[in-house]
Amino acid sequence: MTETLTGIDMSVRAPEDRFRARKVSTEVEARPLSAALPPPGRLNPAARKAYYFYLMAPAIALLAFISLYPFFWLIVMAFQKGDMGAVEWVGFKNFIDLASDDRFLSGWVLLFRYSAMCLFLQVSIGVLLAVVVNGSRYERFLVTALLMPMMMAPAVAGLLWLFLYNGTFGWYHWIFHSLGLLGSGSILSSAKTAMYAIVLVDVWQWTPLITLIALAGLKRVPRDQIEANMVDGASPFRNFFAIVLPNLYPVLLIAVLLRFMDNFRFIDHILVLTGGGPANATKILPVYLFEVAFKFFDLGRGAAIALVLLVVTIILGKILVGVFDRPTAGGR
Amino acid sequence: MFYKPKKAVYSQISRRRFLELGGYGATMLGTGSLAVGLNSTIMSTRVQAQSSDDAKWKQFAGSKLVFLSENTPPSFAIREKLKYFYDLTGIEVEILTDDLPVVQQKAGIDLRSGTADYVLQYAQDKPIGAPFADFYADLTPMLGDETLPQDPEGYGDEVWFESFLDACGRFYDGDRVIALPYDAAIACTFYRKDIYEANSKDFEAEYGYRMEFTKDSTWQNVLDFATFFKKKKDAGAEGPYGYAQHQGAFAWTTQLDIQRMCFANGRWLDYDIDDRLGSRTPGATNWGDEQSVLILEKFKALADVSHPDNLANGTLELNTVYQSGNIAMQVQYHEFAASVEDEATSLAAGGKTGYAPCPKGVPDWIRNGGEAVNGTNCGIGGIAINKNASEELQRAAYIFAIWSTSADNQYEVLKGLGGTPTRKSVLQRPDVIAAQQRPSSMPNALTFEPVYDFGIKQPNFVLGPKIPKANEYHSIIASTTQRMLAGELSPAETGAELKSQLDALNEG
Repeated sequence: MTETLTGIDMSVRAPEDRFRARKVSTEVEARPLSAALPPPGRLNPAARKAYYFYLMAPAIALLAFISLYPFFWLIVMAFQKGDMGAVEWVGFKNFIDLASDDRFLSGWVLLFRYSAMCLFLQVSIGVLLAVVVNGSRYERFLVTALLMPMMMAPAVAGLLWLFLYNGTFGWYHWIFHSLGLLGSGSILSSAKTAMYAIVLVDVWQWTPLITLIALAGLKRVPRDQIEANMVDGASPFRNFFAIVLPNLYPVLLIAVLLRFMDNFRFIDHILVLTGGGPANATKILPVYLFEVAFKFFDLGRGAAIALVLLVVTIILGKILVGVFDRPTAGGR
Repeated sequence: MFYKPKKAVYSQISRRRFLELGGYGATMLGTGSLAVGLNSTIMSTRVQAQSSDDAKWKQFAGSKLVFLSENTPPSFAIREKLKYFYDLTGIEVEILTDDLPVVQQKAGIDLRSGTADYVLQYAQDKPIGAPFADFYADLTPMLGDETLPQDPEGYGDEVWFESFLDACGRFYDGDRVIALPYDAAIACTFYRKDIYEANSKDFEAEYGYRMEFTKDSTWQNVLDFATFFKKKKDAGAEGPYGYAQHQGAFAWTTQLDIQRMCFANGRWLDYDIDDRLGSRTPGATNWGDEQSVLILEKFKALADVSHPDNLANGTLELNTVYQSGNIAMQVQYHEFAASVEDEATSLAAGGKTGYAPCPKGVPDWIRNGGEAVNGTNCGIGGIAINKNASEELQRAAYIFAIWSTSADNQYEVLKGLGGTPTRKSVLQRPDVIAAQQRPSSMPNALTFEPVYDFGIKQPNFVLGPKIPKANEYHSIIASTTQRMLAGELSPAETGAELKSQLDALNEG
């Protein structure tokens, strides 16, 4: 086919002209094309690497002081037993003891269960919401409304839901109970349901982040690929899985990584809602770490738990990046 | 362009003269500040401080103290009165209040890191006093020091309610006193007289005795009452549950909840140690023995017929359940009477609530040969001084400590916000005596008879266990007991699990 809607014969034009010709058309051109443009030529020659290092040196020194120095002490403390000031070197004892600490081991299991549930629900619902919101007449309003839970401090969100879940006057308790989803006891009063309660709070608060990131990704999905697929007769459903989702992988990677690490760090709402109970049912590892370090003041054991947690987080983060970093059909 | 007065000051003084005047002014200000500073230093010498009562109170004028406290009535009321303290002493005090677990964490970090950001601290007996006792200043050298102001009533054991000074002030060593009793939370029974009366006939027909609560009522009676109400609920009747436990998020109150039933039956204790002073080396625990397993069984039986939110109810939440009319009875701390009697927020107000001692043990439940008592436990909040602070700051803090625990202040707090006195003399005031009967202008006073005349007397009162690892001990008790209540462990398994974990804790 050589004729286009504008009536210009595309076959006889150079690629640059073809691009320019497409630019005059309407909304399609607001989106990038699959093939990347060649980078513009450099106006200035590259500076020596040392120059950049000197520029960054003060910031690096400051960062090193505020993060590496405590990290160094964390490592030191992991091999000690006792209080600040009065310590005793115990070698690897703190780490060895962890292997027989039931609360440490169950903390891992609960953390993975909690993290998996949160990530699955947040990514699924977040992407779905992004698709619904994208291009909607009320997009701006919906985005603003979705952002509201995220703007709340996690501890405040925890308090809010604590009241909503309250078995005496909680509104959500009443709804769950009326729907037959709950018995007469509060969702937080049972070891079987308390974990779902805290997952729900996390999903409520942080799904909008995934939605926001996915929405940004949706804006960058190349329209020409979708159009081509549609010309080939693909359904919108097929389009979503074959074109949209693969193109969303890079942004979803960031979102999943962020939330994955947050699940290992944010325990405010858990502390407010259950304190790790009942019966240790929500005592995920970071909650146990907090308890050991700042309630029992067993700093050596706390440091050992923190180090193990850090190492595992790094390894899992690398694995996650590896999984998402595979080349995709979208041609990232 | 602008109006220029003929005798404008700037036109009469040269720039040089202006700078000279500024210099003089700065010199005079500096000299004045130095004089004030020197005066403060001179006044703070102990010889000078003895010259008059006023000098003793004012010897640390200009000092600033931060008091980290729990968000309970005494601290709120005293915060309102800080201006009086400032006028009296010239010492500026800032009171920071928070939930007890947060106070516990902040105090621990401050004490253990060798700093004194909080010179004065609310040292709740077991969660703060027991783990951090060594980090607080010994008050005994200051008690009776003639260079410091002193409370005319004194500070001996006889001026406080029985065992209060032991509870919050003495840890592991009888010679040191690290805190003065600042407030108290003593357990007693709150029950709905109106609901008991309304159900008494039906109950008597089924169980053969009247539904009423007295100092002789036992844990078996509580179990019967709770079972009776549970059956009615299960049959679809409107009305409350009979009982609810404190098995929620805060580990310490969860431990106290089961401790009452354990102590009531044979005065059973977790460790064979001095209950008054505690021990740094408590040795093997008694959990897992026949007596403890039997009580765990009874505790589980009671949980099964109690309010379904047991495992979510901390002390505050439990009181809300009671206030809302969803339970007919609770064993609660006597400081909550003021909120229960508040008609604006409580369905249990207006004379509906009766107050009685904690339930008594049941002879048939006793296997250790001990006696059945009205097992009553407590949280005695002391005011303590951070040992990391300088000696001068410690002495300034001492002045605040004795002022805040004075009988006059305790009386004011009781009258205003519903405090819980620790000095005996407060209860001898005529209007406090009158307030112990309805209608009462001081609702907490309605609990004074079961608490101060009965619960805290021996053989009913249990103070400990005071051990350095108290907080991890509370956590283990709470989570393991909760696992039993959730059906994960049997009572025997719970006893064995507690034995295993607690012995490992104290060996480690």
